[in-house]
Amino acid sequence: MEVGASLNLMAACYGAGAISALLARWSGRLALAVGHLATLAGAVAGVAVSLGVLLGAPGHTLSQPLLVLFPFARLSLSVDGLSAYFLLVISVVAIAAAIYGPAYLRTHSPDAGPARQAAQVLALNVFVGCMAFLCCAGDALSFLLCWEGMTLASYVLVVSDDQDGENARAGLLYMVMAHGGTVLLMVVFLFLTDRAGAFDFAALRAAAHGLDGSTRTTLFFLAFVGFATKAGAVPLHVWLPRAHPAAPSHVSALMSGVMLKVAIYGMLRFGFDLLAPVAGPLPPSWGWTVLVAGTISAVLGVLYALQQHDLKRLLAFHSVENIGIILIGVGLAMILWRREGAGGVLATVALTAALLHTINHAAFKGLLFLGAGSVIARTHVRNMEELGGLARRMPWTAGLFLLGAVAISALPPLNGFVSEWLTFQALLGGTGLFHGPAGLVIVFTAAMLALTGGLAAACFAKAFGVTFLGRPRTSHAEDATEAPPSMIVGMAWLGALCVALGVAPGYAMRLLDAPTAELLQGPGASAVVTAHGPLVLSTGLTALGTDATAISMTLVAALLIVLAALAWILRRGVRHGAPRVAPTWTCGMTPTSRFDYTATAFAKPLRLVFAALYRPRREVIRETAGTPYVVRRIRYAGEVVDLAETQIYHRVQRGITELSRTIRARSTGRIHGYIGFVLGALFVALLLFGVGR
Amino acid sequence: MMADEKSLGFVVLEMILLVSLGPLVTGIIQKTKARLQSRQGAGVLQPYRDLIKLFRKGTVQADTASGLFRMVPVLVLAATVAAGALVPVVRAGPPAFPMGDALLLLGLLALARFLTAVGALDAGGAFGGMGASREMMVALLVEPVMMMVVFSTAVAAGTTELGVLAAHRGTSWILAWRAADFLGFAAMLVLLPAETGRIPVDNPDTHLELTMLHEGMLLEHSGPGLGCMLLASHTRQIVTLGLVSALFFPLGPVDGADVTGFLLGAGAFATKILVLALYLAFVESSYAKLRLFRVPQYLGIGFVCALTALALRIL
Repeated sequence: MEVGASLNLMAACYGAGAISALLARWSGRLALAVGHLATLAGAVAGVAVSLGVLLGAPGHTLSQPLLVLFPFARLSLSVDGLSAYFLLVISVVAIAAAIYGPAYLRTHSPDAGPARQAAQVLALNVFVGCMAFLCCAGDALSFLLCWEGMTLASYVLVVSDDQDGENARAGLLYMVMAHGGTVLLMVVFLFLTDRAGAFDFAALRAAAHGLDGSTRTTLFFLAFVGFATKAGAVPLHVWLPRAHPAAPSHVSALMSGVMLKVAIYGMLRFGFDLLAPVAGPLPPSWGWTVLVAGTISAVLGVLYALQQHDLKRLLAFHSVENIGIILIGVGLAMILWRREGAGGVLATVALTAALLHTINHAAFKGLLFLGAGSVIARTHVRNMEELGGLARRMPWTAGLFLLGAVAISALPPLNGFVSEWLTFQALLGGTGLFHGPAGLVIVFTAAMLALTGGLAAACFAKAFGVTFLGRPRTSHAEDATEAPPSMIVGMAWLGALCVALGVAPGYAMRLLDAPTAELLQGPGASAVVTAHGPLVLSTGLTALGTDATAISMTLVAALLIVLAALAWILRRGVRHGAPRVAPTWTCGMTPTSRFDYTATAFAKPLRLVFAALYRPRREVIRETAGTPYVVRRIRYAGEVVDLAETQIYHRVQRGITELSRTIRARSTGRIHGYIGFVLGALFVALLLFGVGR
Repeated sequence: MMADEKSLGFVVLEMILLVSLGPLVTGIIQKTKARLQSRQGAGVLQPYRDLIKLFRKGTVQADTASGLFRMVPVLVLAATVAAGALVPVVRAGPPAFPMGDALLLLGLLALARFLTAVGALDAGGAFGGMGASREMMVALLVEPVMMMVVFSTAVAAGTTELGVLAAHRGTSWILAWRAADFLGFAAMLVLLPAETGRIPVDNPDTHLELTMLHEGMLLEHSGPGLGCMLLASHTRQIVTLGLVSALFFPLGPVDGADVTGFLLGAGAFATKILVLALYLAFVESSYAKLRLFRVPQYLGIGFVCALTALALRIL
């Protein structure tokens, strides 16, 4: 089918899905089924569009004008390599979410009324559709409309799941933060459209070429902060760990796996395309800021994730970490772009790493959120301290969650390792180009990235071990059963993607050719990274005089399989009988679930090591029977604080409260006074901005 | 100096050599420790006898364990041995078909550790959980420093491929070292006891719950499963020592494709491993185990050394 036709089909599917919410008048279940089916069809069409563009003729851009909705602006779609790649990421996760969704909503909230189901179906289709078309937007107005649609629809989904006060507060915080970011984006867009006199990106690009350096940099930082708010980079992340867990799990998968990536798309579009100077490298401040912000997000995100006991909240903090890893790659690419010598090649490696990590994170984070969703649908518990022993009760969910855990911990042979390996190689290449303090920053980033990997492994050993292994700690976990087949199929699709991208990443490089070549105007990803054939990943730094670092994930995976088969023979031993089963040794006491290590206990050593960052609070209340030596009951409460929250947000909050108090003192209640203030403000505004027009 | 490429068969041969020598290194360390403590000690072949005994035994499994528990020893052994395939043993130079670099090696070791920790939580006892929690804490402090030491040598050679790194080191001895090399090596000496699970970080000889890290995770494994885990520990130890020797010491004759060259290379490797093993034995005999929360400070010395080494390379 022709690519343009697929684009229309995609729009039709999401539209039909949104309209199918009306079916809830007759049957909520029917609306759920039809609505998710439409999402699935739209996502498949989206994959067709993106593959058509990515594998088609190089440099080809698919453009399509839209209806004239506004007299002052011509809306249009334009799908180039970068758009198509992000459309692919969105569609791949949307496929899994659409397969998974209906069964999840039925299992998790069986008593939901048709109104709620209609709202969820409508919001889901609007949400996914807006994300898909945001990446395809060809002008500022459709970009902003989709951006707003995405935010509003996801807000509806966040507050739709469990209708309690906490979700409502999470939704409100999300709305405020998201719109704060949107305001910054609007400023940037309005500034550019004002200069260009048109809304389409080509005109904006031409207008930006005439900017002077400081204006350009100011605009970039406004856009960066706006997108970073959506992406959840530290310290703008506070809404993320609250809002993402509140949504239904397949929506959490979309929000964490995909919606954050849309912000990355925006950063790339602005940084390398719309605001980039005609020639010469980008201003150094851009790349270094992105790099440092990425490093801080990566480390703090995973450190806070480690202390979470709410399964979905833990995963949400890991999104902060992974966005940080992507930003490290993006920042490095910005620093190196259009530099002399090896810099250009290295920029390709860095951008490839960032883009690959984008789809990798979408795959494993989607998988993990869906896995957590299966657990929650069956147990109705999100606190992992109340779970345990689920691997025997939900073997498929457990296996797939473990797969995702290995992938996100950047362990070979899965996909997380590949993109982090590329990031490391790009950083290492960077040390060859930069000396002095700049080199030290890069080295420090590499060390922090290594620390992040170790922390993620510790975190997921905890998350998987406490949730799925050992004994069930409550009856919720005791009575759990395996998730319905359609939910497992949704997870397995993403799991297969994790394995494929890990074992044979060379084949995925073909998809990265168009976006890297377009953005960097240099060689495509596969020309650099898979110069020795698709089975070998190499850094291709021939310009630096070295081309020796090459790894073959395929060969190592094959070696692992052969060795595992041999070890299995060894493991069976000489005596082939079934193993004798005996209770776990607990020093002679009757084993109960109280002997299992808890998540709090597991994370305790790190809580003490990183106490300066966590500022842990600990409270132990003993109830004794007369003497201090006989303890009847003991109550333990502990928490760690998010430094960004206490150090920045609480202060801002206090500042605003102070300010409003001061203003209230000036509020006399007389109308003349207020009119005087308004006139004064108008006068000042006219003095400042009204001159010369 | 660029080395010849190694065929895949040669890589497998080196891997088998490495795995089969692993228990011997443990045996030598145990024997040396015993003699330093004025004991006779078991023979250097005792680890082999232990392994053979375990593989002939039956299995006892915890009643709470899931199906994963039986797979853990298999996967841990496979990952560790695969890491062994990435260490240059007899000859430097990259393999003819690229396999993996130092980062992949560290990744495979981390995978083995992750799976061990997960397996320890499966039995549902407090010992396993405690061991897993502590091991992961030590690991995440060790891994970045290890990575930085690798970087400090990789910056000089421009690659993280171990065979090429080793070839870059050449056959010149310590005379060619620069300050960064000494600092990197010092960092590695600090890390070695931690990475191989020895005093002053961990104690391989005890099953006392307050002192153990790695052993705590193995408590519920038995018979052939425990055998696999022990073989993996031996292999991990020799792989780590092999990594250090590849990063810091010149290899044997690089161009020796014939039998003499092979023997010379193997002899040189054995000498280097022996020296490092004796170092471990001496450290174990002369220090007490550190309190768990002193370990981060101890590893901090390694971090400072590694960071300085890197800074010296870059500035």
